Amino acid sequence: MYSKEEGFFKDKKKTYSVQSVKRIVYSTDARDFGQAARSVPCQEACPAKTNIPGYIRCIHDKRYGRAYELNRMANILPGVLGRICSRPCEAACRHGEPDNGTSVGICHLKRACADLKPASHKIIEGLYSPTDKKVAVIGSGPAGLAAAHDLSVFGHKVMIYEGQEKPGGMLMYGIPEFRLPRDLLMLEINNILRMGIQITTGKKIGTDIALKDLEKEYDAVVVATGCVIPRKLGIEGEDLENVHNGLEFMAAVNEGQAPYVGKKVAVIGAGFTAVDCARSAVRLGASDVSLNIRKTQEYMRIDESEKHEAAFEGILTNSLIQPSRIIGDGKKVTGIEFVRTRMEKTDTPPFRTSVLIKDSQFTVQVDSVIAALGQGPDADGISRDLKKLKSLGDLAWKGKVFATGDFVTGSTDVITAIAGARKCARLVDEKLIGEKRRQTVVRLEDHKTTDRPRAYDFISRREMNTIDMEKRLENPANEVETGFDETRAFEESKRCYLCNLKYEIDPLACIYCSACIDVAPKDCIKMIRNIPLNDDGSYGDYEETSDWNDVVSITIENAACIRCGQCLAVCPMDCISVTKTELIEIDI
Amino acid sequence: MSSQDHYVIIGNGPAGNHAAAVLRKKDKEARVSIISDECIPYYYKPKLTGFITGSVPREDLLVLSLESYARENIRVRLGQKVERVDVDSKTLHFSHMEKIQYTKLVIASGSDSRMLPSMEPYEWALKFVTSYTDVMEYKDQIKNAQEIFIFGGDFVGFKFLRMLDAMGKKVSILIYPHAFWPYNLSDEMLDQVVANLSKTRVQVIVKDDIKDIKGSPGAYRIKTCNGIEKKADLIFSFNGMTPNIDFIKGSGIDYDHGILVDEYLKTTVDDVYACGSCAQIYNPAIKAYTVTIGWPNAVNQGEVAALNLLGDHKVITSVGRKYFDLEGVKIKTTWWKNIEDE
Repeated sequence: MYSKEEGFFKDKKKTYSVQSVKRIVYSTDARDFGQAARSVPCQEACPAKTNIPGYIRCIHDKRYGRAYELNRMANILPGVLGRICSRPCEAACRHGEPDNGTSVGICHLKRACADLKPASHKIIEGLYSPTDKKVAVIGSGPAGLAAAHDLSVFGHKVMIYEGQEKPGGMLMYGIPEFRLPRDLLMLEINNILRMGIQITTGKKIGTDIALKDLEKEYDAVVVATGCVIPRKLGIEGEDLENVHNGLEFMAAVNEGQAPYVGKKVAVIGAGFTAVDCARSAVRLGASDVSLNIRKTQEYMRIDESEKHEAAFEGILTNSLIQPSRIIGDGKKVTGIEFVRTRMEKTDTPPFRTSVLIKDSQFTVQVDSVIAALGQGPDADGISRDLKKLKSLGDLAWKGKVFATGDFVTGSTDVITAIAGARKCARLVDEKLIGEKRRQTVVRLEDHKTTDRPRAYDFISRREMNTIDMEKRLENPANEVETGFDETRAFEESKRCYLCNLKYEIDPLACIYCSACIDVAPKDCIKMIRNIPLNDDGSYGDYEETSDWNDVVSITIENAACIRCGQCLAVCPMDCISVTKTELIEIDI
Repeated sequence: MSSQDHYVIIGNGPAGNHAAAVLRKKDKEARVSIISDECIPYYYKPKLTGFITGSVPREDLLVLSLESYARENIRVRLGQKVERVDVDSKTLHFSHMEKIQYTKLVIASGSDSRMLPSMEPYEWALKFVTSYTDVMEYKDQIKNAQEIFIFGGDFVGFKFLRMLDAMGKKVSILIYPHAFWPYNLSDEMLDQVVANLSKTRVQVIVKDDIKDIKGSPGAYRIKTCNGIEKKADLIFSFNGMTPNIDFIKGSGIDYDHGILVDEYLKTTVDDVYACGSCAQIYNPAIKAYTVTIGWPNAVNQGEVAALNLLGDHKVITSVGRKYFDLEGVKIKTTWWKNIEDE
């Protein structure tokens, strides 16, 4: 670690306070937003813009409570998301880029701060004064809970209407307990509800209560009913006994029922629900469970650890096949016919599609089929009344009625639903109050040290420990992942590059000695002739030059920099500065 | 063909070497490079088990000497590991940070021993017969070992088992019916295998699983789910092979249980071909992708890949031995439909 302050502190006769010389700027400059987005890829990839380097640093400093709060500010349910998040941040992590090793275990660390925070931890809520406005939130899934929380913080009186008996939506009924313990889920839900939010369960809007009545009673209505209508296979035999759809199957399992699966189970689908169904079938006593997918495993919509856990539990993945017919004895399913597929290139993401191979059918004997093909919003119930809503991307709005979450976007993931709902809550508040009360800014703070030695770059990723197969089958509710202890969390936290630290060379002080270029392990320090601006005002790609006559500056490309600090250590002119860059919300 | 071409072959087995030989023969001017992560020239892998037990000397393992590569003007890079393929810039990135450009690429990287997910907690105790380097690490330990435990089975495993038995070692095997990926043993096949092994001193355990392994090299204790306890000096895992293709992941080259190639051995990316046991080949006759094993298949595929890379349109077919004999049970070397029953 290198510190510019070291020199000052050597003078024992004087007392210095680092706190007293903090210089902080709150910026709304497009260049700073662009820089933050470009150089902190994990935060940019997170739909909720969680301050990931910030909370990982807190874990490193053993400030687990602060780490939990940094999470909660952005994503409301850190303990839940630390277990089941789809982890777009890890896919974007700079440590996982070519030649940099593997991405940081961001999600495991998120769980660690929830697990390791002290019992005396204090939850922080920046509450606004009561407004006397009443808001109804329909649905208590991740989007409904996030919207209710934020609206409550804004001082509005919130009532949640939940159609099921328990709150949580897909978290409660869609995700198995062995991935998400229910006491933890209820704890984090109650942390939201205890702010004075009321909830009524077991009543469906559209059947038990009319949306129009809510519009009369409340100042605003937020629809966050998610996607609850399962997609059908659309093939012969789908109505046979022991053909389940994934959502209903998981709901039954999560309510403590044991739907019949038999010994041989074919699960159709390539997402988290399909894997949850397959793993639940193993716990119901099936001995031969397969996941059957149209493309290859590379294109499954789950992360590598889920693939690994499924394989560990003996679940086979059969790729490049598509079901064409479910075969039965007139009543129950006895087999399933598949058609083989091959991959074909397309011009749009994910740039591959599966194409059926003609006359390639084959049949497999099965006792049950679970079709987990995803789900869509309720098309017949509440949707009829909401067709005139004006779409604003991930939310929709007209008059008093707002819609958010998967109901608007189609089936996504928990973190996307939460992010959309928080945006929706801001809009609702703006309409109710008549002005914006919160804004996102870039907080810039002088930071004198690199905060980590170069040796940390070579620490290998700490994987999550899991319970053995015997314990998994002993009680289907036993949580499979055991979490990080303090030592493991500390080791993993060291791996974060801290991309929120921005390195800059002062072109007026630089003597162009190129010592920094010589010691940089990455191609991140560049001689440039220009940095053009993008249309949105942010910096574009650097225009490099090797001709000294054209060089206007030696510049650090923060999108390539791994924050090793070697440039800072070697600079003879002390012209490299470090600035902590964070996206935060402040009052306007 | 232009003399500027650089044909790169990843893999130094039968598929890779035969591809290189065809490329050199057909294009005298081009640069031809073979890359291998092993530090030994082209060797006969099926003889590794014999090499371990001492019945095959090192000289007999080698198929080609380093001098013969030089004579053919083929550059061979030994002990070098490709970490990543960038198909847009046609660049290979090595673990030692070097980058090289290719004009056309043949991937013939073969397979590694498959680690079953359920056995990962015991990785520290397991030994594999995958490469010459692996084998050199424990060759002497085998000589001194008295009791050896084999977990899984597979073709190499059974060959090894017979050799250890002949050496007078006390051998136990826990047979996994699905150790023979991509084939599974049926109950009848398993019964026949067990019946044939009963004529040896090998102790056979079936329909069981490992519950726990404790100890250290020379003194392991294995417990099974059915309560059997075994002592062993060494534990070997033979659970089939898995294609050695980690370096292509994320490159845009499609893979499934191997690199997906059409009947011409062309991958989903232009100018990249794959052959041998790392490839999963589309077979129009059965309208499915199949994996092949065996030396003759690898040789044939290497040659066909090279010819097609140079502009030919040869459709690959299954060649060589049609069946492997596993303790009296016949197992097909490929899933090719036109393979005749004998």
